[in-house]
Amino acid sequence: MAHKILLIDDEAGFTQLLKMNLERIGDYEVEMENDSLKALATIRRFQPDVILLDVVMPGLDGGDIQARLQDDSKLSSIPIVMLTALVDSTELSEGAVAQAGSQMILPKPVDLQLLLRVLGEILSKAEE
Amino acid sequence: MGNSSVIESVLDNLPVALFAKEVTDNFRFVVWNKKQEEVTTIPAERALGKNDYDLFSNESADYFRKVDQSVLRRGKATEVPEEIITTENQREVHLRTIKIPVHDQETGRILIVGISEDVSEQVQSRRQLDRLNRHLLRANEELQITQLQLIQAEKLESIGRLAAGVAHEVKNPLGLLLLGVDYLSQGILPDDPNLPTILQQMREAVGRADRIVRGLVDFSSQRALTREPTDLASVIEAVLLLAKHEIVRSNTTVELQIRDGLPLVFLDMSKFEQVLINLVINAIQAMESSESRHLTIHAWEEILSNVSRNEGARTRELFRSGDRVVILEIRDSGPGIAPSDANRLFDPFFTTKATGKGTGLGLSVARRIIELHSGTLSLKNRTDESGAVARIVLPTKIPTSRVSIRSVSVEALKEEASNSVDTKTKKLTS
Repeated sequence: MAHKILLIDDEAGFTQLLKMNLERIGDYEVEMENDSLKALATIRRFQPDVILLDVVMPGLDGGDIQARLQDDSKLSSIPIVMLTALVDSTELSEGAVAQAGSQMILPKPVDLQLLLRVLGEILSKAEE
Repeated sequence: MGNSSVIESVLDNLPVALFAKEVTDNFRFVVWNKKQEEVTTIPAERALGKNDYDLFSNESADYFRKVDQSVLRRGKATEVPEEIITTENQREVHLRTIKIPVHDQETGRILIVGISEDVSEQVQSRRQLDRLNRHLLRANEELQITQLQLIQAEKLESIGRLAAGVAHEVKNPLGLLLLGVDYLSQGILPDDPNLPTILQQMREAVGRADRIVRGLVDFSSQRALTREPTDLASVIEAVLLLAKHEIVRSNTTVELQIRDGLPLVFLDMSKFEQVLINLVINAIQAMESSESRHLTIHAWEEILSNVSRNEGARTRELFRSGDRVVILEIRDSGPGIAPSDANRLFDPFFTTKATGKGTGLGLSVARRIIELHSGTLSLKNRTDESGAVARIVLPTKIPTSRVSIRSVSVEALKEEASNSVDTKTKKLTS
């Protein structure tokens, strides 16, 4: 069964192109949510295996959404990968990336190969 | 004592220089009193019986003769505001002279009587005053140029504050482009239904990055004040684009209430943007710890009906009842202005921000920019709810050159100043 990935980012173009890439490369079912205020409802409905979450968004930002997920016992186990243009990509070492968990941070612009590797690790860990 | 000697002592004791020349006897001097001796440094015994050509340079004598003839033609007392004679010791003496034609019916003799006053000192001080005035005008111009430089310095600070946000806004379209490239590098299938969307998104991303970079470049450019008829809505749009990141990041909602059909205002777009950026960023920072962060930008046209006392001195000075103005208000939902700060908001270097967060020049420079636009900027607390409101009032009529700043460098001005002083000094000493 295809893994379910939810993209939460206010940039509709970005989520659209990322979805197209992910669906073309891997066996993923990707959904997008561009309105941060609707994010929690979408998560509950879609029940993703992993969430790619933008940090800077109008309404609720990535940190707010993550905090709310942690408060919800049904959702707190969903792994999250934060995507942000705030971090300089040089600040993120390969080592940091290998530390897969629910608090991954990847820099924007997104390195697709890196993202695929991270997704692979998170999803295989979840299946263990 | 005969009559003539009485007259002589009377004349010699007059506090003004007096002479008479006999037109009918080749303009020879017949009267030359003591004061006239003093002023001209020519003793009476040398002057009497001589005419102007015997006593003064040909050039001066020609001039005196021309004036005399004109006085004779007019047939009445005539004032010569400034005559210059060079004395024996080469001193220039400036005289104010009244020349009176006298026709003695009995003898048929025609005389010109002159009464002179030495006005050299007044002339000197008037020249000095002119010189000082010119210096003052130049200093004022330099001051205006310095102000423009200060405005530019403050602008660079704003750019620093915006830079991170602008970088973020450029990174987004770049990221999108990269995703497009990633997709296309996996192979291009002619019947792939995603292709049009991807190409369209990539094209838009380039346009978006271009707009934001161009906006920053336009904003940074240093120019003398150049005002053009401008659509206020487009300025506000450009400002919101530059500040977009700060707005989104702080989770601020922006409400625009721009009345349709606003008249064009006469603006220096880049400097006016600087003011709005400043006010918007200030408002965002003021709302940092507020529950709701709401920014309203409201612009409308108004005909001033009652420029009352409580409008403040500047408004009363610039605007009159009946003036058509455009009013722009930026309202925030922050805590408002503390009463203790209200009077100092526009003071240079006054800041409520932590050290390193701002120089405190923003508002004073903003006000100066608005004043260069013949408008007013005020900052008050809102009366409807918590928060502050910045209010800009701008005239809609194209101003007569109330402010004119030439685009010259300070160096050029200084050079010009020293040149003109030199030539003046030369004239005086030659």
